[in-house]
Amino acid sequence: MNPELPSFFSRRDFLSKSMATAGAGLVLGAPSFLRAANKDGAPGAERINVALVGMGKQGRVLFEAMANIPGLHFQAVCDIWDYNLKGGMGKVRALQGHTPKGYADIDEMLATEKGLDAVIISTPDFWHSPHTVKCLEAGINVYCEKMMAHTIEAARDMVRAAEKSGKLCQIGHQRRSNPRYRYTLDKLINEHKICGQIVNINSQWNRAVNSSQDIGFNKKLTIDTAVLNKYGFADMNQFMNWRTFRSLSGGPISDLGAHQIDIFSWFLGVPPKSVYASGGNDFFKEREHFDNMMCIFEYDTPLGGVRAFYQVLTTTSAGGGFWESFMGTEGTIKISEISANSAIYREDSAPSWDHLVKRGILKKSVAAPAPAPSADAVASYESAAAEAFELPGGFGKPAHQPHLENFFAAIRGKAKLTCDARHAFESEAPIYWVNPSALSHKPIEFTAEHLSV
Amino acid sequence: MSNESNETCCNNNNLALTFGALLLRLWLGVRALQTGIEKFSGTKSSEQIIDVDGAANEYGLTAAGSVKNYALENYNGVPEALMAKFQAEPLMLKFALPLYDKILGPVLLILGITLLLGIANRVSLFLLGLLYISLTWGLILIKQDEGVSWLGVHMILIVMALAVAEHNRFTILKKW
Repeated sequence: MNPELPSFFSRRDFLSKSMATAGAGLVLGAPSFLRAANKDGAPGAERINVALVGMGKQGRVLFEAMANIPGLHFQAVCDIWDYNLKGGMGKVRALQGHTPKGYADIDEMLATEKGLDAVIISTPDFWHSPHTVKCLEAGINVYCEKMMAHTIEAARDMVRAAEKSGKLCQIGHQRRSNPRYRYTLDKLINEHKICGQIVNINSQWNRAVNSSQDIGFNKKLTIDTAVLNKYGFADMNQFMNWRTFRSLSGGPISDLGAHQIDIFSWFLGVPPKSVYASGGNDFFKEREHFDNMMCIFEYDTPLGGVRAFYQVLTTTSAGGGFWESFMGTEGTIKISEISANSAIYREDSAPSWDHLVKRGILKKSVAAPAPAPSADAVASYESAAAEAFELPGGFGKPAHQPHLENFFAAIRGKAKLTCDARHAFESEAPIYWVNPSALSHKPIEFTAEHLSV
Repeated sequence: MSNESNETCCNNNNLALTFGALLLRLWLGVRALQTGIEKFSGTKSSEQIIDVDGAANEYGLTAAGSVKNYALENYNGVPEALMAKFQAEPLMLKFALPLYDKILGPVLLILGITLLLGIANRVSLFLLGLLYISLTWGLILIKQDEGVSWLGVHMILIVMALAVAEHNRFTILKKW
């Protein structure tokens, strides 16, 4: 964990960046809120030469987030699919005014390109580790999407390679750099202890059937089978839907769950001591990975035991999408990357939070109308309604941007990574044991062997 | 007496048709112009850092809410969500799609302006009709039947505007 704020979040730096953007807007006769120019050698920023490896959907998400960060020069793009490669190169050209070099093979890229400072890896999970290790060994800093790898051993290789190379390796658990999450942990949970004793965590990522279908493709754009085989895919369907294959990914629990289970350990400050999971192919019966999964992690914290229930369902969106809820004796914080899914509740018996509201630490939510008394309520069995609050502010950037900003600030020596390979491994290690627990129908008690590099 | 009555009747009809032509022209012009302008719209989140404990918070939390804005950088001819669907269509001409994306907004702006100002209205209406046919074809490909019906209503309005074009007044260039 890194409780310190990276220096790029300092007020002075933020204000200077804002003013620079405003100034540019005035010179161009354009509104100051227009995106900061992202040309080579942006004033006040050291240029960082970047290569983009993997320009599928997630690669494009990261690129869009990086487009707002000054001082980046996108030198090369790499993707085995010509469609993604050309599309990625076109996006870079549109942003920086000239076309980057394009490669289908990362080895060729690393052998050819000189002066790369950073590589952004957003390839399928089973390629994360080989690609990251190659780049680190080539002396290049790496930002790699989560999950670190499809196997725990491959993830261990990444930590070893990062520490041996001495280069930076940031893993894409972007919530670790999210101002709303960092504020919640630092100010609300640790400093003001508004939850009291956290006794339970409840979290989910539920996705509707329509959003969980296999991804189709234009047959004219099919990659040659020999090329697919060379890169570990049996066919085009497997290339497009690698997330559903056991040999290529950890399935929904790692694809979606890893983001949120990461927060459990981060907020509690301790790793789990056990996991028990249950899963099944309830709707997508042909898929190798379970389409629905539930699990319970147990933690021993200095304040007492905590159970964390997590479910990832790819067959229903019930329950409001994705969020993490930290439930305490005095309050509950329900937080999500989507601010509309977030809320904070004070238990009726807890001390007043009015002083926190006055100081701007919390904001009181507009009260919902009190429910009318109903005949089926048994008053003596019910708790009094909790009072609703919210974070005092929001966060108006793409979700991945602060995490990437942290990475580039660390390259410039101005910040410490918020999720380096070792911390990411410590967070991800328990997740590798969820599928085995569900498959064996047995709980797994963690030992050092399960969770260490 | 009889002739006067006919003249009054025809004058009244002409006035009604003139108003009808004007209203149709204005509706279609506004529709095209504002749709073109909206291609340049976007939303921007607040960048105002909020105070916590009497000082700007060091986490970068900003005031909630977002504002709509218009800028060249916001331009999206074909909405991104639809673009991906069009790209996956085998009948879609891949080279034409980026071009269409680029010209759609400007063409709507130009036709909206020519209709509102009364510049070559018959040609403008015809071109607008062709544009709506092209949009209709795209929506048929991706099975957006509601959109197709919606554009069908626009086509009826265009044909009605052409039918009463001879009664069009208040124009800058009546020819064409």
